[in-house]
Amino acid sequence: MKTNKMCAIFANKHEYNQLRPLTDKRSLSTLYYAGKYRIIDFPLSSIVNAGINNVYTLINQEKVRSYFDHIGGGKEWGLDTIGSYDYLDSYQSMLEQKARGENYFDNIITFLETANLPYTVFIGNKMIGNFDLRSMLHFHQENNNKITAAFKRVDLSNVAPDDQIFILDNNNTVLATQQAIDSQKLETYNLALNIFIVNTDWLISELKKAQRSGTSTDIAKRLGELAAKYRVSAYEYTGYLRNIYNIKSYYDANMDMLNKKKRDLLLYGNQKIITRIRNEVGTYFGVDSKAVNSMFATGSKIDGEVRNSIISRRVKIENKALVKDAIVMSNCQIETGSVVENAIIDKNSVIKKNVTVKGTKDHPVIVTKGSIVESNLINR
Amino acid sequence: MSTKMLGLILAGGKGTRLGKLTQNQAKPAVPFGGRYRIIDFTLSNCANSGIKQIGIITQYQPLLLNKHIGNGASWGLDGLDESATILQPYTDNAGSKWFKGTAHAIYQNLDYIDSQNPEYILVLSGDHIYKMDYEAMLNEHIKNSASLTVAVIDVDKKEASRFGIMSTDVSGRIIEFEEKPEHPKSTHASMGIYIFTWKRLRAVLTTAFSTTDDMLDFGKNVIPYYLKSDERVFSYKFSGYWKDVGTIGSLWAANMEFLNRKNGLNLDDRSWRIYSKNPIAPLQYITENATIRNSMIVDGCYVDGEIDNSILSTNVSVQSGSKILKSVVMPGVKIGKNVLIKYAIIGENAQIGDGAVIEGNKDDIKVVGNAEKIGVLPDEN
Repeated sequence: MKTNKMCAIFANKHEYNQLRPLTDKRSLSTLYYAGKYRIIDFPLSSIVNAGINNVYTLINQEKVRSYFDHIGGGKEWGLDTIGSYDYLDSYQSMLEQKARGENYFDNIITFLETANLPYTVFIGNKMIGNFDLRSMLHFHQENNNKITAAFKRVDLSNVAPDDQIFILDNNNTVLATQQAIDSQKLETYNLALNIFIVNTDWLISELKKAQRSGTSTDIAKRLGELAAKYRVSAYEYTGYLRNIYNIKSYYDANMDMLNKKKRDLLLYGNQKIITRIRNEVGTYFGVDSKAVNSMFATGSKIDGEVRNSIISRRVKIENKALVKDAIVMSNCQIETGSVVENAIIDKNSVIKKNVTVKGTKDHPVIVTKGSIVESNLINR
Repeated sequence: MSTKMLGLILAGGKGTRLGKLTQNQAKPAVPFGGRYRIIDFTLSNCANSGIKQIGIITQYQPLLLNKHIGNGASWGLDGLDESATILQPYTDNAGSKWFKGTAHAIYQNLDYIDSQNPEYILVLSGDHIYKMDYEAMLNEHIKNSASLTVAVIDVDKKEASRFGIMSTDVSGRIIEFEEKPEHPKSTHASMGIYIFTWKRLRAVLTTAFSTTDDMLDFGKNVIPYYLKSDERVFSYKFSGYWKDVGTIGSLWAANMEFLNRKNGLNLDDRSWRIYSKNPIAPLQYITENATIRNSMIVDGCYVDGEIDNSILSTNVSVQSGSKILKSVVMPGVKIGKNVLIKYAIIGENAQIGDGAVIEGNKDDIKVVGNAEKIGVLPDEN
């Protein structure tokens, strides 16, 4: 019964300087999202929801701790059972192999040969969405493709300069691919989602070819080019999508979850988003608390006022404090009388009594992990 | 393989006094405090006390309880040399093994206990809300060279006749035990938590059941027999928060106490966490119309109404215009528009249609049963 089975290459490649300081001590993949998730949960849940339990994960070496901290043995995702296989490798070791003139795709090829499944899905790390890889596989089989690329029609706000954009004909056949930065200004872009389904045998032969000719270690780029070369039909994703590449896109993506339609599409779909389990008591709302249009994770104590905000785990918001249009990550304390507005408060931070932290929607103030803020921080 | 102390949780009780809430599930599986089930407290205490082998003895409506416990992974009981084993009554050549009492339930699981080969057994009931270090109790048991140690707690004099009451000497040795006495001689109540030196208990039970059937119950039979035979029976004093949740009134009151941040349970203590099987649910969402006062709300909830002095459990939705006061709403409940719920417990997955009124009072808590439907809930998202 292995005819419809896939294995996965999960590439945590993308990092953006524009996301700093949020990504100073963690990778883009392990950034908090919507209070209790990490960005990595979305591609990883899409993988396991498609019944895939052979996963080859590529990470950035220097951020390995935050990755392990979240994924651990993969239990929550069902990746610790018999027949499952979660192989971890880093981009750095691939680049070192390449520099030494060695076969830098050999580890991946060995994985693909060992898993021995007819299809391989490649998925990147920065697109937040709820991807149904099984239906994408159906599309791949029906169209008799060697390779199928997923795309979504988006506006400019969802495109980063280094993204791949497909040029498609009326039947969604990939005619060409280009970097967004080289693209002329358009109303909508066919954004490559860095998700591909490939026939495994063919992928192995292409990877062998690629490493013989010494092409880039950027597999997604190579796959996009192959999709264009073979003029295959692309799979259109129509669900919720946010492309995370700078502070603004990260902030907006979080705020999206206050919108019922978007929240239902992403979090309440047929496929559940799985994340690490923490055991916490429910969130307590005090007698004088006020909560308006906001989301709360568990373990928090709310005595102040919260509006249009996303409050993560174990956050204390004291009496007469106001949190508005903000993202507050876990284990923060907002003390009496303080005001937090248009801000991102990273975990373990304290906003002291009567302090104001205020930014704008386009430039939210960022309070870095573990800060103690004792005087006003205002962005205008 | 031998085990120092084996935990045995008696989770077979029907919990008749919880009425509709236990119609289709065992009492230990009844939800509590928003994101727990009653048995989570006992199981977490075991895990936190370093008890690695636990048998959970079930009998009445065990399906949900078994599903909840699974292989014990939620409590970290699936590691090396660790196990959570569900023990069901079964039949063999000697006939059926339905449990006739607490001690009988232990006797019927002799094979399991022998396979674990413990030095001590810790007998627990899965229907109290408390935090307790069983390892400290074992240390006392060993220090006293006891054959049986009973955990006791001081209760109100007027409540004492509901419990098994102990009289002790200065060293803490129990000299007298009375089950639910009319005129209690002390206020030291048994918590139903026992540590037995297994070799001795095994001999007592096998001898008794090979002849008669008179060793069915720990409180009624075994403890009096131990005292009569001059066994070393000691008390172990416990003084923290401990709450029986065996009746609708006490279950409601314990939930209300849970809202009090100074209730003594200290659930923020990350070193003694209460674990549970966590369903996958996104964050709770509070709309612009909601008001919430002195209440606890957990993952997956949608709140568009007014919540006052209440607990909403996982995946509860409350539509606009509805008021929930002094009430406990269990997981998966859907509440329509303009509903009034006051002094009530709403059972799991119940549906309360638009405009319904469910109102009890402090002394008579209204209960809506599990999956019960009141009125009509329009089909919408």
